[in-house]
Amino acid sequence: MPEFLLVMALVLLLTMSAGLVRVVIGPTPADRMMAAQLLGTSGIAVLLLLGLALEVPALLDVALIFALLAAVSVAAFTRRRAGADQA
Amino acid sequence: MSQSTLLIVFDGVLLVTLLALAAAAVLSPEPRRAVMLFIAFGLWLALIWARLQAPDVALAEAAIGAGLGGALMLAAARRAARSAASPDRERQP
Amino acid sequence: MSTETILHLSAAVCVTLGATFFLAGTIGLLRLPDLFSRLHALTKADNLGLGLVMLGLILYQPDLFYAVKLILLWVVVMVSGATGAHLIAKRALRGDGEDMT
Repeated sequence: MPEFLLVMALVLLLTMSAGLVRVVIGPTPADRMMAAQLLGTSGIAVLLLLGLALEVPALLDVALIFALLAAVSVAAFTRRRAGADQA
Repeated sequence: MSQSTLLIVFDGVLLVTLLALAAAAVLSPEPRRAVMLFIAFGLWLALIWARLQAPDVALAEAAIGAGLGGALMLAAARRAARSAASPDRERQP
Repeated sequence: MSTETILHLSAAVCVTLGATFFLAGTIGLLRLPDLFSRLHALTKADNLGLGLVMLGLILYQPDLFYAVKLILLWVVVMVSGATGAHLIAKRALRGDGEDMT
């Protein structure tokens, strides 16, 4: 069964690598940000699967930080509009 | 497939993509695109630390390297782009 | 069939379904024509996919503390994902010239 979890983690890692293409080519910055968000979410899934397969329970906390990271970077990315509205 | 074979394939994919990401981030001409690639690079490096069974380093990398560093660099790249686009209207309300 | 086998089988089904959602989300991100349809494909696919993967993991390792932590993590991801999607969509909708290059 750990092998199955590893195979699933590998599949998710490959989809993440495919999503990276959008980060590189994405025509607008919003596209790149969306792709980074998808990367964060699939990264959480990969971390959870790895944590169970390799028996490293602390990876759950790394997954929590990934969830926070997505929120922080999206907020930092969209901050400019709000600043322009105020000014 | 045995577990060790799977892990070797996993590591190979991680390494190749990490190198490609680093090259793309360094070679990117536009600052904001480079910052986004840097954030993705930080995520990827955290995954590698996690795979190396170092969850504490992965935590620090994800929080500081990709999160705080990425947010600060996004702000800096935005400011650079604005001042490059309109150097005289920088201080206008 | 023992209880454990049934749990492991259902866990495998859930994780596979979740991975399928991630795959669909990535294909949507790569293939759909414009920003809003990509956003639409992505937000649904990744929240549901993560939920299914987590359900599978809870079934694989039925432990109360672990389950509560995973569910809290899922709630955090959903809240931040929904907020982020709204912010990105609003920003793109009112986007000014320098950002829409």
